[in-house]
Amino acid sequence: MPLTIGRRGFLQGTAMAGTALALPYAAWAATPFTMQAAWINDAEFAGYFLGMDKGYYAEEGLDLTYLPGGPDVIPESTLIAGRADLALTTPDTTIRAITEQGAKFKIIGAQYQKNPIGVVSLKKNPINAPADLVGKTIAVPPVNIVTIEALLALNGIDKAQVQIVPYAYDPTPLVKGEIDASLDFTTNVPFTISQLGEEAHSFLLYDHGVTLYNDTVVVTEETLASKRKELLAWLRASRRGWIEALADPALYPPQWETTWFAGTGRSIENEVYFNTAQKPLIEAPGGIFSMTEEDIEKNIQALAAVGITGTREMFDTTLLSEI
Amino acid sequence: MANRRRFRHSPVLRNLLILLMVWEVAGQLKLVAGGALPPLSDIAIRFWQDRADYPGHVAATVWSSTLGFLIGNVLAIGAGVLFVLFPKVQRLARGVNIAVFALPAIAIAPILVLTLEGNAPRIVLAALGVYFVTMSATVVGLSQYDTRAADVIRAYGGGNWKVMRLVRLRGAVPDILGGLRIAAPNAVLGAILAEFGGGGRWGLGTYLLGSLGRGEPARLWGIGLMATLIAGLSYAVFALISARVLGSTRSVTLNTALPPDGADADAPLGLRVSLAVGAAVLPFVLWWAFIRLTGVPEMIARTPWGVVDYLFLADSSAVARAKLGAALLETLPITALGMVAGLGFAFLLAIASRMMPGFIRAFMPVALVTQTMPLVALTPLLVLMLGRGLSVTLWITISVTFFPAFVLLVQGIQRVPQSVLDLPRAYGASAWKELRMVSVPAALPYLFAATRLTVPRALLGVMIAEWLATGTGLGNLLNQSRGYLDYGMIWTVASVSVCLSVAFYYAVLAVERRTLTRLGMQVVE
Repeated sequence: MPLTIGRRGFLQGTAMAGTALALPYAAWAATPFTMQAAWINDAEFAGYFLGMDKGYYAEEGLDLTYLPGGPDVIPESTLIAGRADLALTTPDTTIRAITEQGAKFKIIGAQYQKNPIGVVSLKKNPINAPADLVGKTIAVPPVNIVTIEALLALNGIDKAQVQIVPYAYDPTPLVKGEIDASLDFTTNVPFTISQLGEEAHSFLLYDHGVTLYNDTVVVTEETLASKRKELLAWLRASRRGWIEALADPALYPPQWETTWFAGTGRSIENEVYFNTAQKPLIEAPGGIFSMTEEDIEKNIQALAAVGITGTREMFDTTLLSEI
Repeated sequence: MANRRRFRHSPVLRNLLILLMVWEVAGQLKLVAGGALPPLSDIAIRFWQDRADYPGHVAATVWSSTLGFLIGNVLAIGAGVLFVLFPKVQRLARGVNIAVFALPAIAIAPILVLTLEGNAPRIVLAALGVYFVTMSATVVGLSQYDTRAADVIRAYGGGNWKVMRLVRLRGAVPDILGGLRIAAPNAVLGAILAEFGGGGRWGLGTYLLGSLGRGEPARLWGIGLMATLIAGLSYAVFALISARVLGSTRSVTLNTALPPDGADADAPLGLRVSLAVGAAVLPFVLWWAFIRLTGVPEMIARTPWGVVDYLFLADSSAVARAKLGAALLETLPITALGMVAGLGFAFLLAIASRMMPGFIRAFMPVALVTQTMPLVALTPLLVLMLGRGLSVTLWITISVTFFPAFVLLVQGIQRVPQSVLDLPRAYGASAWKELRMVSVPAALPYLFAATRLTVPRALLGVMIAEWLATGTGLGNLLNQSRGYLDYGMIWTVASVSVCLSVAFYYAVLAVERRTLTRLGMQVVE
């Protein structure tokens, strides 16, 4: 290990020295900064795409590298491994990492004030509330087991009464009636279901006690201390990007058909639907990414229901107050 | 001859056409799983509509798999040469070799994504897919050389190295090419699996992931068939090269003297024991070195000691052991069943290929598709047809396991000497009787070799089914642990599944050695 760090440090040192000699002003002007997203490129990250396209990050002095996610990518791991400065995470996993793994993370903002994850069913066989899940089969991505456990616990339902099966992100079993519901982004999958000739019905977990943020903006304590200026710059540029991306949710997704959304396998109409549906979940009176004391407390309480002990110290709102 | 071949081929084409037409009709009438199996025409139309998407993804997949293929093969051929020159090194590396052969890719993919960055997980998984095949082909090729040619070199004063360079390496070319042919599709599949899990924008795996949410089976089949096509082409390229090369390297007459056996059975006991211990320890040393060299922090990357600590010493170790134990209890019985089912299916097919060659030849393309089609694309079809219980697990396990076993068994049955077959025929025995009394017993070594291939893969098959359909056992525990950010458990499941696969392999090997020695037969490598 000392060898590796030494070599990395050496390489970085030389690289910096090289750029500093050659281009002192440019190097100073654009600081490299890497963010790890939570999933593949879709409308969930529209604000960042816009910020990069319009040069908002560059204007703030950031040279932003954007890393897309995937099923095996744990955004928190990218932070721990030092491959990104900032990551978009689910708050339950992040707080679990802090309490159980001793990871030194701080949540510095929240993209979704209300988690878009919900229980999606078909209108002809609707699941209206958690109580309706009793005796039914719900497909849940294995990584989200904690979330469904929280929903059941907070609504006094015994886990044994609900059949939970793995969800492989394909809505076909739901449409064909093989399962009764799935746990998915309500901003996304209802569109696909309508394309398949069925009407979707859904409720947000948020409205049934699981009062969590999602896509929480997470950094390590070390980054928070050493890159404060860059983090402020990232928050400012990202907020600017989001405001514009949501102003007319249908405007930008079509423009990214051949850039950000090229080859994702998803349709542009789907992204427009997504961006429109997520608008009320992202916008906040205190500005995008804001975290009110009340909401932080709600997050901590919801997590307590599944035995995850969050504290106010895990959230850092000082950056938000400065932008 | 040419005439006969044409005659034999036409029923195959006919059967294949019938098969495709049945598929089309079944798809059009939504006969299978309420339309979850799309008709071929829909797949073709969808493919045409998506044609702009494919080049970028195909290029990325081909690039990663080519790099992995090159790196894996350079290592494999290098290792093969080393092993043949120094049999003790081969003994020492045995544990590593078996571990690479047996490791379940889905357990390793998350580990690679955790520890490596960018394209590296894809390349490594592709390289891991090719290493064992090429390495063993190299060893076999180098071991079976023409001793007469070597004698010529020696007579002119050449040493071991000269023999290696001028005789053995040249003689091994056909075998190595045969290995590369099988290795090439493995590289493609490894790369796609890592793309599916690992972030990044391009690659068929990534495309598949984005397309899953559309609920559009025609697209998923299109991607799957594209994967099949790339894998098939990579196979064909090396098949073609080896067909070209083969002619010049075969000796014209048959050499009856076997090459000297490299095994050092007469080595002192102390040396043999220390080599065996070294072989068992080496994989763990490499694991440890890998983590130290990548420099990933201990919190997410566990060393072997870290896993031991997690399972036995840490405060939460009792909980971890309980979770792991419960998962193993769910997984192991089904794995045993899956081994039997996979092997049984392969055996039936192999017999059928003897009794009904036309049917089997028509079935082969279907079999090939099952080997290269990403199972995640078929999940809805499978759960709609088979539910989420035992039968889906068994079918997934069969589809993951049967193919290599089938190929070996067919080889075994085909290699029964003609003179032996003539005896039952002369006495007017039926084809079944001949098969039962001669071919099958004679193919016993191949049956064992097939079992060795099947057994570690059965665990992989069951874990895939658990991950995609049933939500139980080790496969599910691995995925859930990501949600819990339980890094210790991720590493534990990965290492336990590798250790189990290796243990299965050795268990079969032990039975095989004993039985074949008793029957006076040779072990097939």
